[in-house]
Amino acid sequence: GKLLSSDVTHYVIPDWKVVQDYLEILEFPEMKGIIFMQTACQSVQHQRGRRQYNKLRSLLKDARHDCILFANEFQECCYLPRERGEAVEKWQTRSIYNAAVWYYHHCGDRMPIVMVTEDAEAIQQYGSETQGVFVISFKDYLDNFWPDLRAAHELCESILQSRRERESESQEGRGREYAEHLPLEVLEAGIKSGRYVQGTLNVNKHRAQIEAFVRLQGASSKDSGLASDILIHGVKARNRAIHGDVVVVELLPKGEWKGRTGALCDNDSEDKASGEAPSDPMPTGRVVGILQKNWRDYVVTFPSKEEIQSQGKNAQKILVTPWDYRIPKIRISTQQAEALQDFRVIVRIDSWESTSLYPNGHFVRVLGRIGDLEGEIATILVENSISVAPFSEAQLCETPVNTPEKPWQVSAEEKRTRRDLRRTHLVFSIDPKGCEDVDDALSVRTLTNGDLELGVHIADVTHFVAPNSYIDVEARTRATTYYLADRRYDMLPPALSADLCSLLGGVDRYAVSVMWQLDKTSYEIKTVWYGRTIIRSAYKLFYEAAQELLARNFGIADEIPEFKNLDEKSRQTRLEELAWAIGRLTDIARHVRAKRDRCGALELEGMEVRVQLDDKKNIHDLIPKQPLEVHETVAECMILANHWVAKKIWESFPHQALLRQHPPPHQEFFAELRECAAAKGFSIDTRSNKALADSLDKAEDPSDPMVNWLLRSMATQAMSNALYFSTGSCAEEEFHHYGLALDKYTHFTSPIRRYSDIVVHRLLMAAISKEKKMEIKENLLSNKDLEELCRHINNRNRAAQHSQKQSTELFQCMYFKDKDPETEERCVADGVIYSIRTNGVLVFIPRFGIKGAAYLKNKDGLVMSCGPDRCLEWKPGSLQRFQDKITSTTTGGESVTLRLFDHVTVRISVQASRCHSDTIRLELVSNRPHEVPSSERSQPSPLLLRSDLVREVTRCAEEAQLAQDVAADAIQEEYPEYRQTKGRSLYALLEEIRDLALLDVSGDCGI
Amino acid sequence: MAGLELLSDQGYRVDGRRAGELRKIQARMGVFAQADGSAYIEQGNTKALAVVYGPHEIRGSRSRALPDRALVNCQYSSATFSTGERKRRPHGDRKSCEMGLQLRQTFEAAILTQLHPRSQIDIYVQVLQADGGTYAACVNAATLAVLDAGIPMRDFVCACSAGFVDGTALADLSHVEEAAGGPQLALALLPASGQIALLEMDARLHEDHLEWVLEAAAQAARDVHTLLDRVVRQHVHEASIMLGD
Repeated sequence: GKLLSSDVTHYVIPDWKVVQDYLEILEFPEMKGIIFMQTACQSVQHQRGRRQYNKLRSLLKDARHDCILFANEFQECCYLPRERGEAVEKWQTRSIYNAAVWYYHHCGDRMPIVMVTEDAEAIQQYGSETQGVFVISFKDYLDNFWPDLRAAHELCESILQSRRERESESQEGRGREYAEHLPLEVLEAGIKSGRYVQGTLNVNKHRAQIEAFVRLQGASSKDSGLASDILIHGVKARNRAIHGDVVVVELLPKGEWKGRTGALCDNDSEDKASGEAPSDPMPTGRVVGILQKNWRDYVVTFPSKEEIQSQGKNAQKILVTPWDYRIPKIRISTQQAEALQDFRVIVRIDSWESTSLYPNGHFVRVLGRIGDLEGEIATILVENSISVAPFSEAQLCETPVNTPEKPWQVSAEEKRTRRDLRRTHLVFSIDPKGCEDVDDALSVRTLTNGDLELGVHIADVTHFVAPNSYIDVEARTRATTYYLADRRYDMLPPALSADLCSLLGGVDRYAVSVMWQLDKTSYEIKTVWYGRTIIRSAYKLFYEAAQELLARNFGIADEIPEFKNLDEKSRQTRLEELAWAIGRLTDIARHVRAKRDRCGALELEGMEVRVQLDDKKNIHDLIPKQPLEVHETVAECMILANHWVAKKIWESFPHQALLRQHPPPHQEFFAELRECAAAKGFSIDTRSNKALADSLDKAEDPSDPMVNWLLRSMATQAMSNALYFSTGSCAEEEFHHYGLALDKYTHFTSPIRRYSDIVVHRLLMAAISKEKKMEIKENLLSNKDLEELCRHINNRNRAAQHSQKQSTELFQCMYFKDKDPETEERCVADGVIYSIRTNGVLVFIPRFGIKGAAYLKNKDGLVMSCGPDRCLEWKPGSLQRFQDKITSTTTGGESVTLRLFDHVTVRISVQASRCHSDTIRLELVSNRPHEVPSSERSQPSPLLLRSDLVREVTRCAEEAQLAQDVAADAIQEEYPEYRQTKGRSLYALLEEIRDLALLDVSGDCGI
Repeated sequence: MAGLELLSDQGYRVDGRRAGELRKIQARMGVFAQADGSAYIEQGNTKALAVVYGPHEIRGSRSRALPDRALVNCQYSSATFSTGERKRRPHGDRKSCEMGLQLRQTFEAAILTQLHPRSQIDIYVQVLQADGGTYAACVNAATLAVLDAGIPMRDFVCACSAGFVDGTALADLSHVEEAAGGPQLALALLPASGQIALLEMDARLHEDHLEWVLEAAAQAARDVHTLLDRVVRQHVHEASIMLGD
């Protein structure tokens, strides 16, 4: 297990009460040498519930925290039986003290021990009993030992204060605001008997005050015979449950069922009863109990000065507004309210009594100023529970050194055990221009018997990252590299990701290789070899160059650095050699792809289009305008490698292999797609992946490429997410990957930026040793641990996608923020209608990749009508909604009809919000396509413009910061670097986009 | 509030044992003078008493006599006060009958019955306190009693239970661990040869895990053997002192 570090001045033993109440402070990384007594842990388990106990457990497990558990009750000398009539609390304190004394003597009286307790009697009684064992209160401890740790002091204050509040409140005992939760036994019995149902609470982002849905969990949905989610209408019925909690719901009688509203609405207009009739009633219920609270840290904003005054009488308690709409306001008590006015702040919820309208919380720390780029980015990170502290000293120490004075070399021992491909194989990598972290390289050659040998070589990250090393623990926590709009947070330290693991050209590198022997004509796979190798990549090509070579256009050679200093003759032969290899690879890839297509691989080939058009991903400057065949070649090789590795590890470890599944989508989700397509006269067959792909190909409107694109994006939205899973917890039929049409698939090819790949590498290594009947060095994760890890990785991937999306939105808003929508030309753009609602339409703006709602009826009840110059203006009238169109008729009889896929002109403006993120607002200007002035049309490409967007916002932020603070230079210099290294292999990109496309993004269109 | 944690992160079980650790075993042989052989064993809080009569002539109907070997007759009973709730029928219920049968199978495999054709060996076991692993305690007690009676056996029969929690095999389950509802396996082993006299499990356990659980139970049974061996030697030593050697 863990050992306490030797450089601490004392050991600290917290009493049970301290562990229960101040665990957050003990979690500070500065706190060192903590010994948790078993007695204290058990008191947490029994009195504080699973959540806090799990927190304590993960703290103990985390190698980065300097704390251990001492099982004092299992130790002969430390165990004290409880005396007759002794209170449990007293006994616990006595036991802990006794163990502390024993521990002190056990360490040879050398290390002073501090026991911190909240029990004044104990301090009195034990304070001077044993020399070397000090008993003091937690407050004194912080004051004496950590006078400089301001954050801890503040946190301690705020915890104390909120506790005092709670006590005084419970004494008051005012009238009930909510019904009491039922006791756990009643809930469990109710769930078993079918009286109640259990599920996760999801609050509707757009109607946080009114609507919440409970998604049923597994078995209970089958038993109760409910097809849909359960609607929880209103805050009272929600009964103190917070978004994400696992709740128990009682269904209301059918007469009281309500429908969800289909109208678009703003968040701030709270329960403004919209006049229209809601849709069909759906099962409605009320929360009777909470099984598991999923509270996390929340970013909040303090009310502005005026509001504080209006809140009036007890200025100590302040209602703060969370950044996330779905979270209710939180009441905290602090004196710092005024000082913190303009900041984003983290708070934690402590409790929510039935007597209180809002939950009680306490202040934790300040993030940054509102509206400040760094502060807002930090907000996004916290809201997605992403923690990206810089790599610590200990972690960096684990990376091998590679400096010009002390270059890293292939060690003799590795040379013996690895297969050396440096002389025998022509290995090269194809990546976007300027890419630094190359995780994959390719090779192909003819064997003596005429067969071909195809090789995929992946950076051997696991060689450098030992299981449970500091780097490994950190990488596992991060699980993936996070890409935000303007920056990235690496999973591995840069020394590994950009240097030692990166398969750069002309240097020796360790790799894990998969090599197939293929038949020379039919390209059938004959044998496959997996293993560790040493390679030296001969060429680090970029896509365009490879494409030119494929077309045997050797003029490109001047741009490839490796060919610079060669004489004409050897240059020619080498070019021939390389071009042959690329040609062969392409042949093989075509063949493999065709085979996969026959099985029904989903051709979401709109991929390239999507990348170009969808700003959300912010990666256009990497994507060439024309999709090249080389892209597909590389991608196909990677898919092939992933597939074969998946097969291998599954065969070797049928119950503990990490694979990736993509479950087939639910047919009902395709309804909207089918309706939309029908509006344009296309029919979409969604019965199988092959049929879907074919019919999507056919649904092409020659006059408007956007139609096909939108249909494809709807199709991807309807699909389920691809997920990692452990093979032990799933039936074999469920392994299938729907999108790729493969029976087994995993992620193997990007270990530098995905933790799942590292796990797969370890599995593959273990599989190889198992095959050779060697001892398996890697201690593999059991099915249960792996399943937990998969859940964590999936969860982190989702967080990464959300944070990426939110950061892009942040940049969009910042871009449009200081532009006057009335005058600025760029704020008017062309949009496509992709969905019809009762009071407006959803519009997609290809140029900026923005999706949003545009209203046809405003708050005063006026509707859009068509003016003389085909411009739209507000007039009194009514709206009528049809399946595929919406008509607004004014009282004067004029009418405008908007149909699906109509092009309209919209004006973009930013709706500023103090407490939440700013949002983009769209306003219809004309029902005709926007006419672009010819000057703008001549711009090289709209893509460039969008990457400019990020650049410009970043620059503005930089300038603002420069003005404020000149010392911040270091950060700014990294911006160009970030931009550059974002380029990775195209395959990786495609994979990422595939993931992104599969992400449920329906939330952002006001439904 | 939170469910019982059978195996903590630090690898401790509820009662402070490690996964492969046995409960404290204390045993005595020759506790009753009248019977041919007798023994008393405590495994943690599980206490069992075994008495052996025989080999003697077949009692009751002669037709039960076997021409080539001795008849092993086992009877299991547990005291009414042995469990948390008072038992109504101390013996003769289904569970007791089954246990008796299992004991009989176990000892038919261990005792050299062919040495005593047409005779009968009676083994009576009573559990005084049941705190998990009653079968194992009964077998261990009965082994000592049979040894005390001087009936020739192939080897000791040592039994131990094992369970499976959170991917780890636990040896010698206590009542709390049994009650948690996980799979439980009972194994009776002839330690010298490693032969299995009885293996019984009536819960679902994945095939892949069986090997680990079995190994844990076998190791525990071998540990029991060393302990029982010590008890026997001690007993013999005492007896020889009494005889004045």
